[in-house]
Amino acid sequence: MKLAVVEPWIEAPLRQFVSDAGVELALLLHPNGQVLAQHGFARAVDVMSACALAAGIHASAGELGRQLEGQPFRGLHHVGRTRQIFLAEAHWPRGTYIFLTVFGSDSSLGLVRLYFEEMVAALAAAAPTETVPAAPALAEHFERDLDRNLAVLFGRA
Amino acid sequence: MAVNPFTAMLDTLIRQRGVTAALVVSERDGIVVDSNLQIGQDGDRVAALAASLYRKARLAARAAGMGAVSFMQLEAPRGRLCAVGGGGLVLVVVAQASVNVGLVRVELLRAVGALTAAGWSGDAS
Repeated sequence: MKLAVVEPWIEAPLRQFVSDAGVELALLLHPNGQVLAQHGFARAVDVMSACALAAGIHASAGELGRQLEGQPFRGLHHVGRTRQIFLAEAHWPRGTYIFLTVFGSDSSLGLVRLYFEEMVAALAAAAPTETVPAAPALAEHFERDLDRNLAVLFGRA
Repeated sequence: MAVNPFTAMLDTLIRQRGVTAALVVSERDGIVVDSNLQIGQDGDRVAALAASLYRKARLAARAAGMGAVSFMQLEAPRGRLCAVGGGGLVLVVVAQASVNVGLVRVELLRAVGALTAAGWSGDAS
């Protein structure tokens, strides 16, 4: 399984990022945990888990930052033995999204940060101009929407 | 400007005629440790890409049985990029095409020798 997106305007900037930065996994999601695009995941359940964890980490880091510095932390970098995680916010006219990526020794934090900024700019330019009203995090149709997005990403729609 | 172990080294490099940027970069992360840049140079971008290039050159040299990379130079129509590595760090110089590469090379090798002698050692495997 390679790259898949829920909305077509996301595909080209994300594909470029994956190619330039040389990352293994990439995930774009709404802060409520709903997935918009993914690269490298083979199973829907893995995407669902990663989205839930990323949304939780983002919320926790945001609150920790607010308590410590009066404003939320916007990025996270974790170094493992062979792989590293980079998680950051991306802001567009349509709202704030979360981007999670996993990379190994073929890439570096510097490259990921560099191409992440370029991807955010490209997505901002490609995004539809109409604004979507922000839905509550635990909306009535959350599970239905999540299932629909996963079905689109994994070719079951 | 804060003074750190790299300040004098970078000052020496940037004083070479034609040099427009001198950076100390983490080889593994591609992040700037310290830099001395002329206006118009994007240190973060150069650091990330140059460290990646150097790391791949080092791995390629090792794979080909050539030993360690001592000095890497990239020539382009409007300038040159030179790099040497040691102790998990990469020293990068961006210069105009007309720069005296021999002098830059001597200064870079001297600088990385000083770094190694001072005991800098990162994990750049």
